[in-house]
Amino acid sequence: MSEINTVAVLGFGTMGAGIVQVVAASGRPVTVLESSRERADAGLAALTSFLDGGVRRGKLTEVERADLLSRVRPVTDVAELAGSDLVIEAVTERADVKSDLLARVAGVVAADAVIATNTSALSVTELAGSVTAPERFAGLHFFNPAPLMKVVEVVRALRTAPEVVDALVSFAGSLGKDPVVVKDRPGFLVNHLLIPYLNDVITEYDNELADAEDIDTALKLGLGYRLGPLELLDLIGLDVHEHAARSAYEATHDPRFAPPPLLSQMVAAGRLGTKNGQGLRTGKDQAQ
Amino acid sequence: MTAQERTVAVLGAGTMGSGIATVTVRAGHRTLIHDLDDERVARGVDTVRGFLAKSAKLGKLSEADAAAASERIEGTTDLKDLAGAGVVIEAIYEDMAAKRALFGELDGIVGEDTLFHTNTSTLSVTGIAAGSARPERVVGTHYCNPAPLMKLVEVADGRHTASWAHRATIEFLASVGKTTVVTKDRPGFIVNRFLIPWENSCIQALENGLGTKESIDTAVTGALGHPMGPFRLLDVVGLDIHQQVATRLYEQLRDPKFFPPPMVDRMVAAGDLGRKTGRGFYTYDDTRLFGS
Repeated sequence: MSEINTVAVLGFGTMGAGIVQVVAASGRPVTVLESSRERADAGLAALTSFLDGGVRRGKLTEVERADLLSRVRPVTDVAELAGSDLVIEAVTERADVKSDLLARVAGVVAADAVIATNTSALSVTELAGSVTAPERFAGLHFFNPAPLMKVVEVVRALRTAPEVVDALVSFAGSLGKDPVVVKDRPGFLVNHLLIPYLNDVITEYDNELADAEDIDTALKLGLGYRLGPLELLDLIGLDVHEHAARSAYEATHDPRFAPPPLLSQMVAAGRLGTKNGQGLRTGKDQAQ
Repeated sequence: MTAQERTVAVLGAGTMGSGIATVTVRAGHRTLIHDLDDERVARGVDTVRGFLAKSAKLGKLSEADAAAASERIEGTTDLKDLAGAGVVIEAIYEDMAAKRALFGELDGIVGEDTLFHTNTSTLSVTGIAAGSARPERVVGTHYCNPAPLMKLVEVADGRHTASWAHRATIEFLASVGKTTVVTKDRPGFIVNRFLIPWENSCIQALENGLGTKESIDTAVTGALGHPMGPFRLLDVVGLDIHQQVATRLYEQLRDPKFFPPPMVDRMVAAGDLGRKTGRGFYTYDDTRLFGS
């Protein structure tokens, strides 16, 4: 397996932009595929404004910012990805959309290029079925926000070749991340542990164990967590958590993963957390 | 009576009792610490004074304040000495019958409006309060270990707790520098209610080969921002303590997520209790430091 020098990222949304930033910061050129010029421009604008913030806070210099952006090349044509050593897919969490795109990309890149998916909720082994030579396919799961979160899960699918896992581990290490090799189970490792815990907190909050602020305060002061579970849920997005929980439940029928009624109701009512100013902690406290 | 004038009595001179007594003397309350024999009482008093002396040495407290606080602690083995206490904080071993009996006996010693606090972590506040003829004055106040360093106290009323007792408890805890959260009299309150199933699920993930202890600890600290991974934390808490707390919660809730996974029983049987024995999930070279 040759070294990973050139990288392509599929999708310039939140996760895609975060991954692009991390990879470009490691000195590698990154090609980013989007479905339209407008979306590609929007992704680049979001990345630029994020980096501007970093410059203002003294996290990086003007020169570093310019260098980083010079390595990012947004494209809308799959054929432009031909020379990539590694492709990281980070488009919407829909199996059909991902499969279609992965099949097209696999037809363009070299036969030994590594293809990885950043899915958090779908089976990596199932997605591997959409590419030729599925032994080169694995999961590379970044956490949001990708530039700040240290851990990356390297997901070994049923057919992933050991040298592909090794290559992704050393690639993640070269990005300054802590790679953790995990099995292709619903939720992999972190979400497998996190989803039941967060569901449990939502259920007990609904059961009036304590008010939302006191639950968060207890776990922050008692256990030293940086964020309480309910403020974490608001940040993740209640719709995002609901989708992850439902996917894990559908794949396992394990009731610990089933979205609690209050969660589904919050999503149905359009209360999605920090992003729209209404969540389990957001909006409510101020209103009272 | 202002908080500063109130005499505090702490029942039980073990780790939690001496830690709580350290909190109250540091905040200006004259504190009487009670245990069954002189040796335990003396050890409790020494623990309080030792902590204060160390705080002064580390510059966390002035020499004068540490000396003054050290003078506020007094020990006794005679419950009758608690007669003048405005607040009694029970921190004896986790046994419902013993806690009830103690509150019953204190009814005849202390004043009518003396607050009874129980530091139980796994028993029902209502059940303990039933030992007193005046259950309306009993409030659950669960401190975290080490009490002098941890800000949090979980406050849980029993079924019959009066609102005056609840309010006075919140005020008292604020006066000793604690942050309170109000919860219900349910097994595990908030922290253990969520910590125990969390730790159990991490142990199960390890048993099921989802990761190694190192990879799970790395993933949890790196992705979730916890200060310690689940296995490092279990080693600090002690596998025997985790087993006890988990079993007690399971006995009350009958939900399997609280039940300690088989690996916990095997580790306890093997004497691998964590840091305190030099081996738990990890091995430690520095057990010699403990107790020296």
